[in-house]
Amino acid sequence: MTTIPTLTTQRLTLRAPRLTDFDAYAGFRASDRAHFVGGPNTDIQAWGQFIGLAGQWTIRGYGRWIVADRETDAPLGVVGLLYPIGWPEPEIAWSMFAAAEGRGLAHEAALAARCYAYGTAGWTTAISLIDPANTRSTALAGRLGCHPDGTYQHAIFGAMQIWRHPAPAQGLAP
Amino acid sequence: MIPRLIDTPILTTERLTLRAPHASDFDAIAPFITSDRARFVGGGADKDVGHAWRILAIFAGHWHLRGFGIFVADSRRDGRPIGSFGPWFPGDWPEHELGWTLWNATDEGKGYAQEAALAVRHHAYADLGWTTAVSYIDARNDRSRRLAQRLGCMLDTDAPRPDRDPALEVWRHPAPSKVLAA
Repeated sequence: MTTIPTLTTQRLTLRAPRLTDFDAYAGFRASDRAHFVGGPNTDIQAWGQFIGLAGQWTIRGYGRWIVADRETDAPLGVVGLLYPIGWPEPEIAWSMFAAAEGRGLAHEAALAARCYAYGTAGWTTAISLIDPANTRSTALAGRLGCHPDGTYQHAIFGAMQIWRHPAPAQGLAP
Repeated sequence: MIPRLIDTPILTTERLTLRAPHASDFDAIAPFITSDRARFVGGGADKDVGHAWRILAIFAGHWHLRGFGIFVADSRRDGRPIGSFGPWFPGDWPEHELGWTLWNATDEGKGYAQEAALAVRHHAYADLGWTTAVSYIDARNDRSRRLAQRLGCMLDTDAPRPDRDPALEVWRHPAPSKVLAA
């Protein structure tokens, strides 16, 4: 029914979203951790967001994965290629659930997603949009070699910092 | 290879071809979702194209997650997409639903919606194995209520309703034994 690809890293599987991931996803969207990405959200809002994240694969030909523990398959976050209408450019986006914090997993997943964006999806450049107050995400952008490249005024999120990723020649290899 | 929906069914009626949604449907659905005609189905004149884009993504994503979903109906005469019809069961829905939207006022009154709704109901019962189906309809949506009645649906005041404000009416479709040809 779907050809959403699966990526594997040392500790993670990046795979298609499944209905069984919803509770973990909705828990994140309902938490204060979602403050920097438009939340917190109700379960009804989270259903739309969750189904829509799967649907972007059809609309754009690329999308975001559920980041799962490679051993247990437990969902740990959402990472991948995000480009809703109105975005300034295609983005590499990451949101990790609370249980996954502090182990470098977002970094590991974002590198795999960037490799896919440049290597498979054929992107020639990539950005990440980050709320300037989101210090953890900003630190990750720095670890990924991104540099600030202007701001974008989001209708809901407000002013977002645009972080430009290294070009494919520098950013392809994890 | 571009990831896409694969192996999704095609339903054919006298005047319509129904198939899974794809990206190019945006140009046809966006004017509808952002118009007053969509005010009872989650759109409206106060909505922007971003909202329409998210709805199309939700239509597509439902196929990924459930393995079935909303079809877009193309006119067999000119290939033009005229609306969305089909099985719908997001996680916060109490029961399996059959939904419909007709995107252009100029297509109203020609029986297209009934033709497409009959096809997707047959699909839900015969192919997906549903044993019952409902349609959730805003009580102010007269056209949609009349279609439900033409489809043989009965208002079911005992059935659970989706958590929406204002509350949606539950119209229960005839059972499979009543509508599947013997």
